[in-house]
Amino acid sequence: MIQYLIKNYYNVHAIWLLMMLLTVSTYFIGRLGYSGAIITLFLLVTAAIKGSLIIRDFMELKGVSLAWQLIMYGWLWVVCLAIAVAYLIGLTL
Amino acid sequence: MDYREPKLLPGDLAIWLFIFMELLVFGLFFIVYAVMRIQNIEMFNHYQLTLNRELGAANTLLLITSSYFVVRAVHAIRVDNVKKCIYWIYAALATGAGFLILKSVEYSDTFAAGINLSTNMFYMFYLSLTLFHFLHVILGMLILFAVAIKAQRGAYSAQNHTGVETGASYWHMVDLVWIILFPLVYIIR
Repeated sequence: MIQYLIKNYYNVHAIWLLMMLLTVSTYFIGRLGYSGAIITLFLLVTAAIKGSLIIRDFMELKGVSLAWQLIMYGWLWVVCLAIAVAYLIGLTL
Repeated sequence: MDYREPKLLPGDLAIWLFIFMELLVFGLFFIVYAVMRIQNIEMFNHYQLTLNRELGAANTLLLITSSYFVVRAVHAIRVDNVKKCIYWIYAALATGAGFLILKSVEYSDTFAAGINLSTNMFYMFYLSLTLFHFLHVILGMLILFAVAIKAQRGAYSAQNHTGVETGASYWHMVDLVWIILFPLVYIIR
């Protein structure tokens, strides 16, 4: 079933729509004033997913050399992780 | 196991080296923001509420859509549809201009309230980060505009469209950076 969905619906149009919906969810989290560790981790995972979709399917880096994939995805996930760690440290002080 | 030759990077290698350097600068900027926030959580949380979250969200939607339009432009030129390629690039430029307009509205309100780079640390980060990104949006739009002009002069085809991919790659980087900047500065608290 999942393979069927991916095969038939995984395209740049669906990715654009998914990223728009994820952005709206990010906005409403802010609008409703939610905060805290869980919310922040959700926001960062959302940003990392959107970033990964841009790298993979908009920049079309799927299938390029491992080095460049490591550079781009590495940048995205290291930055998101560092922000998460800094945030969690802030909570403990 | 059959070894599959890695695909070439879309566009010029030079643009990817430039993208990588830009990402390093932005990445460092984001981490410094996150670390400096540790010592000033109340202050950051307090002044974050003064930001225009609606304009920030609208700008995110605009940049994602603009990036999507550029993907359509690349797909069009790959099937030799020059006209459609030009159309999608101008659509991307229009949404990019929308970003600049909304951002300018946001800045005019901010400066009208007497806020500037030396008001406090939060505003220093907010203004310097978003202004730095603003300049990259302008540069990205100049690159896309140059691609559109060359496309109109018949420079690109299904066999030769490296320039389109180069401009597209840079524009996606501008979007990728904003995807992190928006939640970090406007939402996370």
